[in-house]
Amino acid sequence: MGSSAVRVRGLWKRFGQQVAVAGIDLELPAGRFIGLVGPNGAGKTTTLSMVTGLLRPDQGSVEVVGHDVWRDPVEVKARIGVLPEGLRLFERLSGRELLAYTGRLRGLPGAEVDKRATQLLDVLDLAGAQHKLVVDYSTGMRKKIGLAAALLHNPEVLFLDEPFEGVDPVSAQTIRGVLERYTASGATVVFSSHVMELVESLCDWVAVMAAGRIRAAGPLTEVRGDAPSLQRAFLELVGAQGRDAGSDLDWLGGGSR
Amino acid sequence: MSASPITPVFVRLKLSLLRNGLRRSGGRKAAYIASAVFALLFAALQLIGLIALRGHAHVESLVVPAVAVLGLGWAVMPLFFPSGDETLDPTRLVMLPLRPRPLVRALLTASLVGIGPLFTLLLLIGSVAAVARGGAAFVTGVLAVVLALLVCLALARAVAAANVRLLASRKGRDLAVLSGLVIAVGAQIVNFGAQRLGAAGLGELDPVGNVLQWVPPASAIAAVHAVGEGSYGRAVVQLTLTAGALVALLAVWSRHLTKLMTSPDESTLAGTETAVRERSSAGLGRLLPPGRTGTVMERGLRYVWRDPKTKAAWVTSLAIGLLVPVFNAWQGTGSVYFACFAAGMLGVQMYNQFGQDTSAFWIVALTISSPRDAYVELRARALALLLITLPYATLVTVLTTAVLGDWRRLPEALGLSFALLGAMLATGAWTSARFPYSIPQEGYKNVAPGQAGLAWISVFGGTIAAAVLCAPVIALTIWLNVSARGDDWTWLVFPVGTAYGAVLTAVGLRLAAPPTARRLPEILAAVSKG
Repeated sequence: MGSSAVRVRGLWKRFGQQVAVAGIDLELPAGRFIGLVGPNGAGKTTTLSMVTGLLRPDQGSVEVVGHDVWRDPVEVKARIGVLPEGLRLFERLSGRELLAYTGRLRGLPGAEVDKRATQLLDVLDLAGAQHKLVVDYSTGMRKKIGLAAALLHNPEVLFLDEPFEGVDPVSAQTIRGVLERYTASGATVVFSSHVMELVESLCDWVAVMAAGRIRAAGPLTEVRGDAPSLQRAFLELVGAQGRDAGSDLDWLGGGSR
Repeated sequence: MSASPITPVFVRLKLSLLRNGLRRSGGRKAAYIASAVFALLFAALQLIGLIALRGHAHVESLVVPAVAVLGLGWAVMPLFFPSGDETLDPTRLVMLPLRPRPLVRALLTASLVGIGPLFTLLLLIGSVAAVARGGAAFVTGVLAVVLALLVCLALARAVAAANVRLLASRKGRDLAVLSGLVIAVGAQIVNFGAQRLGAAGLGELDPVGNVLQWVPPASAIAAVHAVGEGSYGRAVVQLTLTAGALVALLAVWSRHLTKLMTSPDESTLAGTETAVRERSSAGLGRLLPPGRTGTVMERGLRYVWRDPKTKAAWVTSLAIGLLVPVFNAWQGTGSVYFACFAAGMLGVQMYNQFGQDTSAFWIVALTISSPRDAYVELRARALALLLITLPYATLVTVLTTAVLGDWRRLPEALGLSFALLGAMLATGAWTSARFPYSIPQEGYKNVAPGQAGLAWISVFGGTIAAAVLCAPVIALTIWLNVSARGDDWTWLVFPVGTAYGAVLTAVGLRLAAPPTARRLPEILAAVSKG
C-alpha cells in the first residue's frame, strides 16, 4: 500500500506560554508498525491526542486514512482505535463489562462484541480477571484491557500512547504478539515511546520528536543511518551528544528556545 | 510477662503523636487547635446542659439513648476514619515482639489519651450527674463512667482490628468517601428528631430508653439511675452486662490482634484475591433497549451502585429528597407542594453528566461523531435517571400526601413534580455540555480546584432556570386554586405538568446535543482535572 495512514500539516498547540507542538508536518505510511519516539515532554502525547480528535489543535490539519479528523469525524472515529496515556477507563466496570460497553457504544452487534471480547480476553491473558473491576487491575492489566477495547472494532489505524510503560515483561510480550499479528494483516500501528530499544526491535518506520518538532522521520534504517543504534542516532538528532546520556533534560539545548 | 512494662511506652507514644499535631504548618496547626478547642467547648456545653437537666422528668430517657449513640459513634468511627488514630493500626506493630495480653493492656491505656476519650469522659460524667440521685448512685456513677468509657474504647479497637484488611483495601477507601454522606443524612435525622422532641417532650423517648438501658455502654448509665430509684437488683444486672461486654470485646480484640500479628499481610499476597463478581444489574441488561441507549443506561445504573462518588451523591439526593417533605408533613409544618423537593434533588443528578465520567469521558468522546450520537447518549443518561427518579418522586409525593391526608391535591403535586423534574433534566443536559467540571475521585470535594465558579454557574444557575421554566405550570396551579370554580379543575395540573415536563426534557436534550458534539475536546479537558 502506497497511501498514507495519517497526514499532518502545520500542527500547532500552545498551553498558555508553553508551545507543546510547534508546527508539525508528518506523513505516516499505511500498513506499517510506526514508532513515535522522543523524550518525556517532547509533545508525543499532545500530538497523538490531536491526531485522534481528543484535543483541538490551535492550527493545522490532520487526515486519517484520507478523512479530515475535525471535519469528518464519522469516517475517522469508526476507523481508529486509541489507547491514551494518563486518562482513566470506566474503572468501576469489570474487564468484560468494559469491553461489552465499548463495543456496543461503537455500534457493533451485542453477540459479536461478546464473541470478540472472549477471544481478546483469552489472547491477552485476562480471562481469569474478566469479572474483576478494572479499578483493582495492575498497570499491565489496565494496558491490556485498554488495548482490547481499542482493538474490539477492528480499526484500520491503532494509536497507542506509551503502551509498554509500567508493563511487566510477560504482559509486554503478550501485547507485542497481538500487535505484530495485527500489523501483519495490513493494519497500521502508531505508538509512542521513549524506550529506543523497544522501538528499534518493533518498528519498521519511526518519527523522532523533540521539543514539539519532528527531527527525523522515515524507515528505521534511514533514520538510524550510520549510527550503531537508534539510541545513538536519536541522541545525535536531538543534540544531546556528549552530555550525561542517561539524562532526559531535553529542554536543556536541542531547541532554540 | 515481660520485665519492663510496655504500657508507659505506648502512653508516651500517644502523647508524642498528640504533640506532633501542633508541629505542623500554620494552617493545619490552626485547624488542629481549632478542632480541639471546639470539641472541648462542645463537651463542656454538653456537661453544663446535662447538669442543668438534672431532676427533669424522663431525663434518663434522653441520657441513656445519648450514651448509646456515643457508643455507636465509637463503633463506626474506625470504619470511616481509618487513619484517625495511628496507634489504632495494629499492623504497624507487627514487627515488635509483643504478647497479646500486655499489648491489649498497653493499647487500651494509651487509647485513653486523646481528645476523643476526654470528650466521651465529659459527656459520661454529665450523664451521671443528670441521672444520679443520692450518694450510692454517685458511687455507682464512678464505676459506670469507667466501665462505659472502656467499653467505648474497646469497641473501637475491636472493630478496627477486625476490619484491618477491609480498611487497607479499595473497598475501605470507598467506604471513607461515603462517610460524609452518613454524617449529612444523620444530621438531618437528628435535626428532625430534636424538633419533634422540642414539640412533644422527653416522654417521647421512653420506649427507646427502655430498650437501650440493657445495651452496653448505655446500660452502665442506666444502672446509676436504677440505684437512685432504689432498684439495686436491676442496677447489678445492668452493670454486669456492661462488664461482660467489656470482657467480651477485649477477648475479641485480643484474638484478632494475635491473628493479625501471626499471619502474613494479606495486601502483599498478590494473586490470591478471588475475582469478585460485582453484579447488581446482571439481568437488567436484557430488559434495557438495544443499541447505544441500553448500553449507556446500563453503565449509568451500574455506576450509581458501584462508584462511591456517584453513590454518595445519589443516596444524599434520595435521602434528603424523602426526609424534607415527609418529615415536614409529619410535623404538620409541611405542604403537599414540598414533595417537589424530591424531584428537584434527584434532577440535580443530571447536572455535570460528563464530569461524573471523569477523564474516562474519552471513551464516550471517541464514539460520538455527530449531534445525533450526542443526542442518543444524553437521552440514554436521562432515561437511566428517570428509571429511578420517576417512581421515587411519585412515591415521595404519595407519601407526603398520605401523611397530610390531603388527597385532593395529589394530582397537582404530581404534575408540579414532573414538570420540575423535566425542567431539571433539560437544564442539566444543557449545562453538562456548556459548563462541565471535574469531580475529584479522592476525598470529600465535589469540585476540582479552580472550577468552583463553573460548578456554581452550572448547578445554581441551572436550578434557577429550571424553576423559571416551570413558571407556567406554577401559574396554572395558583390560578386554579384562587379562581372561583378552579378547585374542580386542579387535577388538570397532573396531565399538563407531566406533558410540559416531557416536552421540556425533549427540547433540552435536542438543544444540548449539538454543543456536546461540537465541544468534545473542551469537555474532555474540563473533566480531566480530578
